[in-house]
Amino acid sequence: MTRLFAASLLSATLCTPVLAAEPAEVLSHYADMAAATYGDSLTAAKTLQAAVSALIATPSDTTLQAAKAAWIAARAPYQQTEAFRFANPVVDDWEGRVNSWPLDEGLIDYVATGSAVNEENDLATLNVIATPTFTLSGAEVDATTITPALISGSLHEAGGIEANVASGYHAIEFMLWGQDLNGTGPGAGARPFTDYAQGAGCTNGNCDRRAAYLQAATDLLVSDLDYIVAQWADDGAARKVVTTDPQTGLLAMLTGMGSLSYGELAGERMKLGLMLNDPEEEQDCFSDNTHNSHYFDGVGIRNVYTGSYTRMDGTTLAGPSLSDLVAAADPAVDMQLKAELDASVAALMAVKTAAAGGLAYDQMLEAGNATGEALIMGAVDALVTQTASIERAVTALGLSKPDFEGSESLDNPDAIFQ
Amino acid sequence: MKRTLLALGLAVVASAARADYPETVRDHILPGYAAFAETTASLAAKATETCDSALLEPFFQHAFDAWMGVQHLNFGPVEEDGHRLAIHYWPDPKASGAKAQMALLKGDPAKLAPGAFAQQSVAARGLMALERLLFPAEPLPADPCPLIRATATDLAATAAAVNEGWKAGYGDTMLTAGEPGNTTFLTSPEVRQVLFTQLASGLEFLSDNRIARPLGTFDAPHPERAEARASGRSLRNILLALQAMRRMVATLTPDAPLTIAAFDKAIALAAAMNDPTLAGVATPEGHLKFEILGQSVDNIRAVILSELAPEMDVGIGFNAADGD
Repeated sequence: MTRLFAASLLSATLCTPVLAAEPAEVLSHYADMAAATYGDSLTAAKTLQAAVSALIATPSDTTLQAAKAAWIAARAPYQQTEAFRFANPVVDDWEGRVNSWPLDEGLIDYVATGSAVNEENDLATLNVIATPTFTLSGAEVDATTITPALISGSLHEAGGIEANVASGYHAIEFMLWGQDLNGTGPGAGARPFTDYAQGAGCTNGNCDRRAAYLQAATDLLVSDLDYIVAQWADDGAARKVVTTDPQTGLLAMLTGMGSLSYGELAGERMKLGLMLNDPEEEQDCFSDNTHNSHYFDGVGIRNVYTGSYTRMDGTTLAGPSLSDLVAAADPAVDMQLKAELDASVAALMAVKTAAAGGLAYDQMLEAGNATGEALIMGAVDALVTQTASIERAVTALGLSKPDFEGSESLDNPDAIFQ
Repeated sequence: MKRTLLALGLAVVASAARADYPETVRDHILPGYAAFAETTASLAAKATETCDSALLEPFFQHAFDAWMGVQHLNFGPVEEDGHRLAIHYWPDPKASGAKAQMALLKGDPAKLAPGAFAQQSVAARGLMALERLLFPAEPLPADPCPLIRATATDLAATAAAVNEGWKAGYGDTMLTAGEPGNTTFLTSPEVRQVLFTQLASGLEFLSDNRIARPLGTFDAPHPERAEARASGRSLRNILLALQAMRRMVATLTPDAPLTIAAFDKAIALAAAMNDPTLAGVATPEGHLKFEILGQSVDNIRAVILSELAPEMDVGIGFNAADGD
């Protein structure tokens, strides 16, 4: 009742100005963009899957490098989906399967002595690749055959501990690169291709089980992405969350932008790592690909606002946008937010350019590295600044931001389907 | 409209009952940061005289008490240059702080000079770092005195910078919301929204970290994860956080009786617990009591959303707790 009333108020407000986009059209296009971005992520993951199969069939430096390149390419569309996550429980409840971070990688495979300490995780050095059977919460786990079901059912978040990340991009990243033991110095993880050599050439032991793990984790990523693409299709659950009610949908769009901008990207992923000077506090810590992941997060936030997504094949998917709605309600807020989104993408691009030029993201985190600190804080400040304007857009559209964590419509999507 | 009418009505009866964000700035935030700057300055001064932890302890406790008066405020000067994390980095599940401190204890003394120390990891700075030096779980591998002095001096400098930031500008930035040239707060409601968000996120931090972490589950409680156990402050910090946020509410509006009642209920529960380090969460009775305290804190969060948010005409803004 309240919601209906609010919704009718909202559309009355929004329809008065001339030729403004309709909220329903904006939301429908938003869901189409999500479907396309997750769809591209799935396509790129399938390319990665083929490259992983080639690595396992014929381990060599060439096939390892090809698999790494495919992984990096797969991150570009996926990171642009992150703005669709927060405030959409269908996505957010699923997301941990594919993009959990940080991880205690010693759960999966060998690590350098003393490098996998976590006082809250007694599985931090389990090394399942070297351990075909083990005890978990009092029950024996049979891991003699490594399958996607073993990874998703028994290992992922084992013992209820979030750092036990057994699946997703970062688990695969660790399988391809290995630990980055260079601290804040130059260099990424340097796993040799012989970790996948079968027979006498095998390094670090258990190469058959390691290959099985990598293949299973990659297959699982593909099937998990396949699931979420279906949720954004016509009548998909994730689409319904944002298209059933305009107020809920628009709020979800802005909440996704704001939560990713501020608490998640600027705070947890960027500023915290800088303040700790800790090279493990970078998101793609094995591959040193963090600069790209952060950049595409920023692009994804802007995509949501401008209603425009450049697909992997180079075509552009554009349509009625949140920007159109805000411009009709408060042109000054729209202009400022657009400029600030461009500024944060530019600041993230500066980080990306510096990293591509040889100053890796983990080197920027070093205590006393003034250039690195300025680059990272430039992006953090731009993201914080745009968050205030995202709040203003919420106000301009007459949306009240309820407590998302306690909001029935968002915590319990079924409630709005009835 | 409601607020104006209410304020007018009260003005006739008692002008002292006026309450809105200017009162919050004047009566809650500015004195809170001033007290934190004073107590940390005293602690630093004492640390130049002695490294005897028994003599330093009361100064440490006073400084931590003062921090608890403002720790729920995560905006403005305390968010600049990572000051908040440099004052209080917790929780620290990977023991980053202890590791960094061990390196400093055995490393180049030049890193302890004020300028260089301020460049160190936030995990090795602030109140929790000082606690590990004053109340070590195991004997330290080297004389901690120089590091104690460096940490106390750095903490006082950080507190002074935050206090100055408020006195010299940010207080006015809030009070001049909506005036030409103020690009931080374009309207008064933006100020109210920020302050309300501090309460909501402050209660969330209290519930998720100070309470839920040590509580764990009935079968797997984690008393060792309680905050500031070594200095015996785990329960005290919960109590002081609740009292500080209650005081903040009283400065924001005179008309939030359910919110005040919800705070009072939680404060009474915390005050009645006789378990400074929360060791009792490992016992069935203690676990239940602590769980009930946690529920009372979560209830405050529900009440501020249903009563205080409409009273202040705001919702929850984006905050550091957003995301994972």
